Amino acid sequence: MGLKHILPGGGTSATTGGIFGAGSPTFLTSKVDWIVNWGRRNSLWPMPFGTACCAIEMMASAASNFDLARFGMERMSFSPRQADVLICAGRVPYKLAPVLRRVWDQMPQPKWCISMGACASSGGVFDVYSMVQGIDTIVPVDVYIPGCPPRPEGLIYGLMMIQEKIRQETLTRHFEHRAEDPTRVAKPQVGDLEVAELSGPFGNSTQQDQLSSGEVVREGSTSDDLLP
Amino acid sequence: MAQKTIELEVARGREMGVDGNPSLSPIAPFDIAEPDMNTEHMLINIGPQHPATHGVLRLVCELDGETVKSVVPDIGYLHSSFEKLGEYRSWNQIVTLTDRMDYLAPLIYNCAYVMSVEKLMGIEVTERCKVVRVILMEMDRIFGHLLWLGTTAIDVGAFTPFLYSFQERERIYKLHESLTGARITTSATRVGGMMADLPEGWTEALGEFLDTFPDTLAEVHHLLTRNQIHIGRTQGIGAINGADAINYGFTGPNLRAAGVDYDVRRDRPYYDYETYDFEIPVGEHGDCYDRYLCRMEEMQQSVGILRQALERLPDGPINVEDPNISLPSKTDAMSDMESMIHHFKLITDGIPAPEGDCYFAIEGSKGELGMYLVAEEGDTKPVRWRVRPPSFVNLSVIAKLAEGHLVSDLIMINASLDIVLGEIDR
Amino acid sequence: MTDKKSGSGLDAVDEGPISSDSSSADHGGDEADASEHASVAALKQRFADAVVRHRVYAGGQHVVWIDPEKSHEILSWLQADPDHHYDMMSDVTAVDYGNGRPVNVVYQMFSTVHKRELRLRCELPLDALEIDSIVDLWKVADWLEREVFDLFGVTFKGHPDLRRILMPQDYAEGHPLRKDFPLRGRFSRAEQTRRALAQDVERFYRAEDLSAGHIPQEVAPVEVGTLAQGEREGNS
Repeated sequence: MGLKHILPGGGTSATTGGIFGAGSPTFLTSKVDWIVNWGRRNSLWPMPFGTACCAIEMMASAASNFDLARFGMERMSFSPRQADVLICAGRVPYKLAPVLRRVWDQMPQPKWCISMGACASSGGVFDVYSMVQGIDTIVPVDVYIPGCPPRPEGLIYGLMMIQEKIRQETLTRHFEHRAEDPTRVAKPQVGDLEVAELSGPFGNSTQQDQLSSGEVVREGSTSDDLLP
Repeated sequence: MAQKTIELEVARGREMGVDGNPSLSPIAPFDIAEPDMNTEHMLINIGPQHPATHGVLRLVCELDGETVKSVVPDIGYLHSSFEKLGEYRSWNQIVTLTDRMDYLAPLIYNCAYVMSVEKLMGIEVTERCKVVRVILMEMDRIFGHLLWLGTTAIDVGAFTPFLYSFQERERIYKLHESLTGARITTSATRVGGMMADLPEGWTEALGEFLDTFPDTLAEVHHLLTRNQIHIGRTQGIGAINGADAINYGFTGPNLRAAGVDYDVRRDRPYYDYETYDFEIPVGEHGDCYDRYLCRMEEMQQSVGILRQALERLPDGPINVEDPNISLPSKTDAMSDMESMIHHFKLITDGIPAPEGDCYFAIEGSKGELGMYLVAEEGDTKPVRWRVRPPSFVNLSVIAKLAEGHLVSDLIMINASLDIVLGEIDR
Repeated sequence: MTDKKSGSGLDAVDEGPISSDSSSADHGGDEADASEHASVAALKQRFADAVVRHRVYAGGQHVVWIDPEKSHEILSWLQADPDHHYDMMSDVTAVDYGNGRPVNVVYQMFSTVHKRELRLRCELPLDALEIDSIVDLWKVADWLEREVFDLFGVTFKGHPDLRRILMPQDYAEGHPLRKDFPLRGRFSRAEQTRRALAQDVERFYRAEDLSAGHIPQEVAPVEVGTLAQGEREGNS
């Protein structure tokens, strides 16, 4: 017997069992939720994965003028094992992608991810051979902050959105909140078709799918592999 | 400009103990013979995600205990192929790419790039534009050095200078923003002039900054320069002599700290730098402490240059009055047919370049920043745009500088080189 | 005024990078006057058969094309000869014009003694992209040549450690800055993502790699206080 029957999910399935009986919030669960979420959102420890210009704005947010300490976030955790929210600030090339994925995998649940800046959200100015076209192809992102770079106020707004997201969480749905397939560790976050869709050229005017001789390499975005 | 010798009464030599008496080795007792241990070298990996590498830099170290036997820097974790992107963009469109390379001192890159294009095309900018660009470059030199100061102090363990320097940087951010609309990615220059002239009250705001900044600098001096911890961490660490420094490609404060008196502003002058009265700090020992002193003094000298530039700022047009190069004003373009045609041609076609190539170097905050452009007759975009990044060559020397030092010294050396990964990886 | 190679108007900006036709292979203009630059005059006199052409661009920048076979000899003479003494190698890079034209390796030098700068270029045919390395003359060329190898595919003979520096070591798509390399790469984005995540982040550095190129010896810990002071040389 043990404790399995009172743990969330009953230790057996996501839909039955336990005090926290999945699916339907009760008076007890909503009070517990409120406290847990209050604790979590007011003491988020960010994991700053800063690469480029956005990292400087992130540092400026942590400095005296914008002061992340008032949100409980001054303790920038450089060890992912002790962090809550991964702030990916700056462009991520393919060489850095496995590092980002590894850092994300090392973070324990509950964890959230902020993609700060245009380059982290979609590749930004850099629709080139070496740049990941949005880190959501690699890690699951909760909040995207547009800007190049976003002002510190923008980063703070994004952090407040994470706080809002946490406020609405409930322990009875924790399977959905924490949904991550452990077999997908270190694999791309989305499948090939979605990568192609997310990375397709978005109305930019420079002809980037052409070789210099004018020959078109690929038309539009397809998921075809161009390996010889 | 005058050569001034600054005498600093700072003891140099053996490590100081906590009580002020020199100690031979603060860690291990020196009167016991070292035991013979059968050890192997340890391989550790610092980075690419690490707070003390100042960016996404990977340092693979081979250690004998805590002594670094060799270190191999692994770069490329921020490679954004700026140079290839530049081949797809017209001359003015590349300006927006330049701020993203050195995001710590973006105006310097903006200015360096358009100065190189103007040299290639033989365009002479107006007097006002020259002085404004000198102002922006010197302001961003202070800007870049302030970030170096803050992050290096954190690496030594001092948190306060970080807050002070970021507070000063906020004031420069406001100046950036009132001029260009953006805090970091300014894109303020255009071929033949600037994006916009200085707004009302900008020079007064800069003057206010210059009035109070030296006090902050003096406070940080007070905190760090004679601080025994800081001295112990930086003196004698990562030293290099002058001839080696030139051969290894050091430029900027790193080179001057090694005793070589080379500054692009004086030796290959541009924009009337030879008429400004400023001193160039040159160090002696080439170690981290000398680099620290050189940069601190450079900030002070930049304040002087800025004051002189503000005084001599002439009135007049900011852009070259050649309709084939600078955009006509909006009122002209809306009222005068010819101006409208020029506007149209400039935006759609771009500015045609002459045949040739051009290498133009300026003294950036990190070192000699060179822009190399190759164009063929009539091109509106470059055949090749190459940035000679000072941090790239500065970082390559770290393997030589760090051998024999401790791991914490390696971090200090890395900090003292003042690197920015955006320009290393481009 | 309009771009002769491509259309005009928005098409000119929309199209890909400029690839030149061979009519510009002469690099514009006639042989320039060497008397304005002491090193160029001496170079033409001493290595007359190795100098291919000489131009002056951009208001006074002297560029000399030399034979790549003689590049090491010429560069070491320029460094050693006291009348020229180019102690600072500012930059080593390459230019690919596309369309089958040779790749130019560019050496940008400066003499801190004589305050002179000089640019040398060597044309390498596409089927023989190799040239002597100058790491033995200027240590700065170490990383600069590695970058040219990585991005252009030029092999530097005699380089102690020629491997990729900016791209991952096992990058399979080619040499990115060549004109026939498309901007978005040769593989699809999905393939690039998959390959990126399949990389082992700890790969490529083993203890043997680090000791490679070093003479194995015990490195004594540095004693603070016994270091020699930095010397000033050559600038008096």
